[in-house]
This record gives sequence, C-alpha cells and structure tokens, in this order.
Amino acid sequence: MSEFDIKKPVVALPDMDPEPQIPEEDLFFTEEELERIEGFTEKYPTNRSAVMPALWLAQEKFGFLPPEVMKLVAEAIDIPYAQVYGAATFYTQYYKKQMGTYVLDVCCSFSCQACGSYDVLDYLEEKLGIHAGETTEDGRFTIQEVECLGSCGTAPMLQVTNGPYVHNLTEEKLDQLIDDLRNDKMPPFTSVTMPQDEDEMGGNRRSDVEHTDTYRTPPAPERWI
Amino acid sequence: MEATNGKTKAGDWQNFERILLPPIRDLHKLDVYEAEYDGYQAIQKVLKEWEPGEVVNEVKQANVRGRGGAAFNAGLKWSFMPPKGDRPRYLACNADESEPGTYKDRQLMEYNPHLMFEGILLANYAMQMDACYVYVRGEYVDWIDHMERELEKLYAKGYVGENIFGSDFSTDIILHKGAGAYICGEETSLMNSLEGKRGYPRIKPPFPAQKGLWGNPTTINNVETLAHVTLVMRHGADWFSGIGAPTHPGSTIYGISGHLNRPGVYEYPTGMLITDLIEKVCGGMRDGKKLKAVVPGGSSVPPLHADMIEGVTMDADSLREAGSMMGTGGMLVLNEDTDMVTYLRRVNHFYQHESCGQCTPCREGTGWLEAIVTRIDEGEGNLRDLDLLIDLCDQMEGRTICAFADAAAWPVRYTIERFREDFEAKCKPAVFDTGGVTISA
Ligand SMILES: Cc1cc2nc3c(=O)[nH]c(=O)nc-3n(C[C@H](O)[C@H](O)[C@H](O)COP(=O)(O)O)c2cc1C
Ligand code: SF4
Ligand code: FES
Repeated sequence: MSEFDIKKPVVALPDMDPEPQIPEEDLFFTEEELERIEGFTEKYPTNRSAVMPALWLAQEKFGFLPPEVMKLVAEAIDIPYAQVYGAATFYTQYYKKQMGTYVLDVCCSFSCQACGSYDVLDYLEEKLGIHAGETTEDGRFTIQEVECLGSCGTAPMLQVTNGPYVHNLTEEKLDQLIDDLRNDKMPPFTSVTMPQDEDEMGGNRRSDVEHTDTYRTPPAPERWI
Repeated sequence: MEATNGKTKAGDWQNFERILLPPIRDLHKLDVYEAEYDGYQAIQKVLKEWEPGEVVNEVKQANVRGRGGAAFNAGLKWSFMPPKGDRPRYLACNADESEPGTYKDRQLMEYNPHLMFEGILLANYAMQMDACYVYVRGEYVDWIDHMERELEKLYAKGYVGENIFGSDFSTDIILHKGAGAYICGEETSLMNSLEGKRGYPRIKPPFPAQKGLWGNPTTINNVETLAHVTLVMRHGADWFSGIGAPTHPGSTIYGISGHLNRPGVYEYPTGMLITDLIEKVCGGMRDGKKLKAVVPGGSSVPPLHADMIEGVTMDADSLREAGSMMGTGGMLVLNEDTDMVTYLRRVNHFYQHESCGQCTPCREGTGWLEAIVTRIDEGEGNLRDLDLLIDLCDQMEGRTICAFADAAAWPVRYTIERFREDFEAKCKPAVFDTGGVTISA
C-alpha cells in the first residue's frame, strides 16, 4: 500500500546554497557595528553566547536573516555557520524570510482569545487582504498570529515589528493604527498603569514620558463586538 | 520608609500597603529608589555585617517560595550550591515570562527594577556569584532599554562591578535579550540559550548547582523571587513570613485577565480568596455574566470549575487541595459563554507550537492533542476521542526531559474531567450501522 519513494526525501531539507538575497556590496558590518559585536562577546565567557545579540543587530540592519547574513554573523563572532543557523532557526523573533515593513503580531493566546483576538485577526486579514503569515503585495504589512506577549490584562493586543504594544484593540484603534503606519508613524511605547495606582495615585506613576506613553486601564467598556 | 504595615494577613487585604510596587512616583529611577524607598540600604548593611552563609539562612527561614512556578523555597535552593572553589559561579534571573496569562514580572521590571537589581546583588553575595545574567524575553524591548539605562547608572556609581560599595566583593549584572521561545523559561533551556545554543532543556541530573552555565555552578531564580529577597534582607525573615499565607508567605503580584470589569496587575498578600480577587478587586464579571472557570496560575495549571472555588485561596497548599496550582499567579477568569473545547484547542495549539521537539512523547503528543481537540471542536469527534486524549496524557506525563510535556497534558486532562459536558455536546453521537436499521446510542 504505502510506497516509499527513496528518491523523494520525506523531510524537505533547507537549500544549502540558495541565491543570496542581500546584494553583495551591502553585505558587511561597519567598524562601529563590529565593535558593538566585540562588546557582546566580552559579556560572556564564550563567543558563542554572543550569537543572540549579534543576530539581533544583524536583523536590525538587514531586516531579516537569510543564510548569507548568518554566515556574516558567524564570521564576526568566529563560530561555525551551523551554530548560527541552529540558533537563528530556533527562535521565532528572528525573521528567516523577508517580512513587511510593519509586522503586526496579534496575540491569540488564551487571555486574548477570550477577549476576542480572533476577531482582531479576522478584521486585519479582511482589511489588508492577506492571511496570517502573509505579506501585503506592496511589502508594507505582514500579519502573524503569535503566542502570549505578556500583556494579558489589556487583551486583545498586538505588537508592531518586535517593538511597541498596542492595547485593548477595537476596530477604530486598528483603523487608526493602519493609517498611521501607512504614514510611517509608529505607535509609541506604552506603559499600562496598575489599577491600584489609579486609585491611590490618580494615574500613572512614571513621569519620563519621553520614553513611553501612558495608558490607563479602561474600565472594560464594550471592547470588541 | 517605615514598612511595618506590610504585616498583613490575607484576610485583612484591604489594609495592605504594597511593598513590591508601592505607590511612589518614578520609583524606577535610581535616585527616587534611594531617597524614598531605602534603596540599596539592605545590600550595604549586608556587605558590612553579614556572612554570605547567614544571608542564605535568613532567606531560607523567611520561606520565600519561588514565584516562577514551582514555589520552591529560594534559600533552600541556594544552599544546594557547592562551596566556593576555583570555578566561576553564576546566577540567572529568569525574566522570560512567556506563560500565557502571566504578565507580572514586566510590571516589576517597569516600576521597580532596582528592587530586582538589589535582590540580585544580595543573592550574588550570598552565593558568592561572579555574575548574574538576566534573561528577558525578546518582546520586552522597551523594558530592556529602560533597565539598561538604570543598570548603567549602577555601574557608574560603583553599585555593580568591581568592589561594590567599596567592599571587597565584585560582581556583574548582564542583561540578555531572548528572541521568542516559551521553552527558554525552563531553567536548563535558559542556560543553553544563554550559551548561544538552541533552547533545548537538559537532562537533570546534573542539576544546575553542580553543572549549569558553561558547566559551572548556577542558580536560577525568578524576577519576583529576587525582588522579595531584598525585602527579606531589609526587614528580616520574621517580618516577611508574617505576611500572607503562613506556608506560602509574602505579597505577590496577581496578573489577572479575562472577562472582568477591571483586569490588571494587582499586588496583595498571598492567600487571597479567589472570590475576593474576582468580586472585590477586579470589580466582578464583565456585563454581569456568570463565572464558568478560573485558571489560577497560567495556561499549564489545571482550570477550576466555578463550583470548585468557594473558599479557595491563592497559595500553593490551598490550590493543591482544590486541584490546581499556584503557578505564576497569572489568573484567567472565564465567563459562562466560554466554550471550554475552543479554550482547550487554543491552549493545545500553544504547546504544539512551543515544544522544543527533543522528546518524542512531547513533540508528537502535543501535535496529536491539538489535532484531536480540533476535531472535536469542529464537530467531527466522538466520545471515544476523550478517552484517547486521556490516554495520550498518560503517555506524556513524566516521560520527558523537562516538565513542559506535563504542563501540556494537565490542562487537557483536567478540562475534560471538569467540563465534560462541553465536550460531550460537541461530540457526534455514536451511530451504528446495522444494515438498514440505525441505532443511536
Ligand atoms: C516549560 C517551562 C517554562 C517555564 N517558564 C518560566 C518562566 O517563563 N519564568 C520563570 O520565572 N520560570 C519559568 N519556569 C520555571 C523555571 O524552570 C524555574 O523553576 C524558575 O525560574 C525558578 O525560579 P524560582 O525558584 O524563583 O521560581 C518554567 C518551567 C518550565 C518547565
Ligand atoms: S518535554 Fe518537550 S519541551 Fe521539554 S525537552 Fe522534551 S520536547 Fe522539549
Ligand atoms: S494572552 Fe495575549 S498577551 Fe497574554
């Protein structure tokens, strides 16, 4: 019954020598970046430990981590490519393929699910005409369904490109967010107040608003639907 | 700040004055922390007057139970460290916080990071550590930047680094940013991740105290646990163990989410009644709906049916008796409209997605759990699938490298046991084709 075709591998192996996606003339670290990477290695007893911060730096610079960038990182911290590849493919926040300029990570874990995160996802999919995991044709937006982002009290929420969180989503908020991002206006980092602070201190306790916006926990009006 | 007021039994929670997250504006800034909150007094006192071993004993006596999930006595864990030799020694502060429903460590890192830093210094002194690596989940970029700024000030003032506070003790604190993997919260996986490897958990023994980071003695503690250490050393073990539930003392940060009027992060003593937390603290159920289920400590602990929460308090013993666990104290509250099959399907999806894939029972099991529950959720399952699910749980629990597989199996086992009617309502009735005559059972 079941035929095993020896020529067809059961598991798709990664292409060992894919077409480079970053033009060769751009594929380098500047002196300053190399110095920063050197700084990472100094924080740990082994160079290998610097792989995560170095990959973060590379992703900030190149936008994603194709094999040639992983090789560059391997050279910079002087460890085998296979080790960099192993680490980069394990963690979800390292982008292995090119993403949209803005990645909308919608949390759909259980607290958010309970508060309507799938409606958020549906709304975004409809609005942008793509499915979760896809990128719009103009390369502007990618939508992803992600696991708990650690902001369950303000569910449903999302994170924009490994950066700021947007809380207590509603249709209007999503419309606003998409409009802003079309104009390259990122949402600010938001600090969510504790309900106890609102009672005892009348609101937010942080005054350094140059870094974060403040956000008071709404008394849960009709949120989604 | 005079903090005798912390001495509050849970019953008197209305009069509780917060100790981890007191209402002080800009407490996250070093100068405010020092001026208004006795900041870095405890470590200076300890460096001058205490032997390292005495600190370990004090923390042990205070019975600070780990806030990362297992509720293990922190001082006792510290005492497992071998005597100081030539090998370097490390503390790892676990700020990976990825358990669905958990978001308390973030508040601590945002509003009172120095309480954690001071706790780290105390722990490092108690165990004579060379450095502490704080492993923060990668999504918390803003909070990492924010802590990095404060840490720079600490180095500049000589509170961290060489000869801290002019003593002969030197120690470092290094922030490490993760990159999105729930499993890296497991202590041995966290160590592999710090070493630059894939975040695969390691087989124990050897335990981290013998062979941890880079093969050297290591201890792992949660952010909130280390923050409590500062309070213990500031006010003494007796003061600490007088707060909250006697067997699980201290205050704790409850991260409460779900169908409530005022969800959010609250600090109260341990041992609060679940019903008080829902009704009095969070303003009751949203839209006046009825309560259906409470998940007291993150997605991996067994959910409690609304009938089971009467008189149950938030501490390890009471919750164990009730049939659940304290976990991380991240509590999810669900109302009567919730379909527990859909709930379980999403929880299973999480574990399927996050399994590191080393052990067959976990890698395959989590996938099958999701597939079967999805089948039921889509109306294609039948009653025998419920037995099949329980059987799968039996095959997963206790048979893997780390506790992840157990954490994936418990919600399945107990959701089916406690909310069976939801599953039965979605299962197809068994239909036997007997050649023309259809009998349904
Ligand atoms: C799958 C898994 C995930 C875990 N995730 C976390 C986590 O995100 N944060 C945490 O503090 N502990 C987590 N733990 C518990 C840690 O392994 C460890 O017990 C804890 O950090 C010890 O600190 P404590 O004694 O201070 O609680 C996890 C455990 C397992 C098995
Ligand atoms: S139990 Fe699961 S998560 Fe833990 S080591 Fe095994 S496969 Fe990995
Ligand atoms: S479940 Fe969405 S942030 Fe935690």
